[in-house]
Amino acid sequence: MEILVLIKQVPDDSVDIKLDPATGAPKLDGVTPVTNAFDTYALEMAARYKEANGGTVTVATIGDDAAVSSIKECLAVGADKGFLIKDDSFADSDPTAKAYILSKAVAKLEEINGAKFDIVFCGREATDVANGAVAVKLAADLCVGVMTDVIAVDPADGGVDVQQQTDTGYNVIGLATPCVVAVQKPDYDPRYPTIKNKMKARKAQVPVITAADLGTEADKVGAAGSLTKVLGLHEPPKREAGIKIVPTKEEPIAAVVTRAVGMMAEAKVL
Amino acid sequence: MSGYNKVTPEIIDQLKAVIAPNRVLTGEDINDDFTHDEMSIYGKSTPEVVIDATTTEEVAAAMKIAYDNNIPVTPRGAGTGLVGACVPLAGGMVINTTKMNHILGYDLDNFVVHVECGVLLNDLAEDCVSRGLMYPPDPGEKFATLGGNVSTNAGGMRACKYGATREFVRAMKVVLPTGEIVNFGSTVSKSSSGYSLLNLMIGAEGTLGIITEITLKVIPAPREVISLVIPFESLEDCVSTVPKFKINKLDPQALEFMEKAIVQKSERYIGKSVYPQVLDGVEANAYLLVTFDGNNMEQLENIIEEASEIALDNGAIDVLVADTPAKIKDAWAARSSFLEAIKAETNWKDGLELLDESDVVVPLNKIAEYVEFVYKVGKELGLTVESFGHAGDGNLHIYSIGNDKVSVEEFKASAKKFFDTIYPKATELGGLVSGEHAIGSGKLDYLAESVGETQMEIMRGIKKVFDPKMILNPGKVCYKL
Repeated sequence: MEILVLIKQVPDDSVDIKLDPATGAPKLDGVTPVTNAFDTYALEMAARYKEANGGTVTVATIGDDAAVSSIKECLAVGADKGFLIKDDSFADSDPTAKAYILSKAVAKLEEINGAKFDIVFCGREATDVANGAVAVKLAADLCVGVMTDVIAVDPADGGVDVQQQTDTGYNVIGLATPCVVAVQKPDYDPRYPTIKNKMKARKAQVPVITAADLGTEADKVGAAGSLTKVLGLHEPPKREAGIKIVPTKEEPIAAVVTRAVGMMAEAKVL
Repeated sequence: MSGYNKVTPEIIDQLKAVIAPNRVLTGEDINDDFTHDEMSIYGKSTPEVVIDATTTEEVAAAMKIAYDNNIPVTPRGAGTGLVGACVPLAGGMVINTTKMNHILGYDLDNFVVHVECGVLLNDLAEDCVSRGLMYPPDPGEKFATLGGNVSTNAGGMRACKYGATREFVRAMKVVLPTGEIVNFGSTVSKSSSGYSLLNLMIGAEGTLGIITEITLKVIPAPREVISLVIPFESLEDCVSTVPKFKINKLDPQALEFMEKAIVQKSERYIGKSVYPQVLDGVEANAYLLVTFDGNNMEQLENIIEEASEIALDNGAIDVLVADTPAKIKDAWAARSSFLEAIKAETNWKDGLELLDESDVVVPLNKIAEYVEFVYKVGKELGLTVESFGHAGDGNLHIYSIGNDKVSVEEFKASAKKFFDTIYPKATELGGLVSGEHAIGSGKLDYLAESVGETQMEIMRGIKKVFDPKMILNPGKVCYKL
């Protein structure tokens, strides 16, 4: 089974990031770049699939040189090979343009690996922009089946059975391979690298694939190839301070409870 | 009881004349929280009046009234202590400092921050991080006040590299038992200027004066951090690895040892499993959790490689690397929840938790011998014993749990036998009664036994100079009621 895991490097999502009022861009000084959390779940699911059923896991990302650290992290926790897809022309690509680049990358990596991919794993969304669109658009470009919010993948005749999380439980859906799955948080956490794997990954060389290698067309990547454009970023409105309701001699407990219930009814939370 | 006076309606009127009446609480308005700390086994006691102070001047005014009327006063932060230090044993007045919770400002030319005593450790730590700074002391209880941290010389995980709270206190404003306001220390980094009254206040548990403002040293936050989770088959191999890091000149920021039972208990409590129970077919019975920090990732990776080799040579089953913020957070989440996890599975009887603890500190090379001794004694007495600790500085947290005891009295009796045996052993091995939780009322007898009457008399003499009427936090540290 040949598996491709697509990842993205994002700013650490446990940090509260503010916008720079002068530029309107997020202030990222001192924020650690990390592998998108959903992509780490995708990789763990892929690694478990490989360990149970055999195969090879390849990891790839579109990014700059800094993203090599994320590829190396993946190599320490189950990935066998890693590639950086990097080109100045890819800047400002929206999900449509990214899916196009990745569809070209899939073909290129299959050529390098000498085998077709059976499953492409992605995170359900990236924690920075949270579009959640690339996996579906990539599947469309590749003309293969896709399932989102996947929490388990198991082998089945002619393909795989995937569990898709729902509000009330999960659906089990059969998918023919090749296919794309967009992974939701399963009920386990990504593994920790052992020191041996960490050190091996540290020394690994990560090949770079460029637009020239992929043969991407200039008007289908970057801003030119994008169907959407970000006009501006806005911080969510600050939450207003809560109201403290305290019983007093003048307004005993029963009265304040009645008042609190009235306020909640008025705010339509009851 | 020591001839203290009761708080009369006249005294309440005097207090309400200088402090807003809604912040002078009496009778049923006093919350039960003010009667105990986090270790209820040392007893509960209700104050006659609680002052919610908002300024140093209010603390001073309340203290002066108490001094003039011979009323015992117990200062209190967040009440997260573990030795009964903030429990008003003699009744009287509690001065609650949690409303004095403002970070007053940073002086980055001198790398200090000026805070009110009621600022929570967590709030300062987060504020520092947002400025690229670090306040290194990080006791397990992040919702303690800084005034409380200074008053107990709290330690925490990073004391291994950076030292305990004392190393970071530059200056403080203090209200003396007479109601006078004094300033001890300065922002300067060294001093040879007479007796250090500043240092005397640190770890004095509010028995010499009430700390109301503090100037603390901060440092630039290290750029890179990596933690290692190191499972061992045997506790002995685990603990004996500890000094080897230091001998090899590795300088871990934090170095904790923990046993299988407490790790599993904590993972049940937080609902997350990080620590492997079986690796390569070998059962893990003990773990080291080590953090290294630095400003250069390549250098740091060389350090963790060397540290891992040392651990593997010393019998570690494997070494797992937490190299992302999420993994580091998860690896430490279990460690940070040990006390809560123990409490969650401890029974209560008659309103008291059947739990007692000690935080002795022993020389690094005696940790393994001491821990083995403690478990042997616990077994002989039929007590459940849980232990973990700051292996990097020899500070061990040992809990005795009386879930199978039928009454509080039975638990107290066996816990007393347990501690009566393990404290002298710590002293015999060259250790001390408390590494960071302090003495309060719970450890007073053990301190006296450990340091002897001459030292206790010197301590009482010092207290008398600060507190001639012995009204400030009586019954604690050296002055028994």
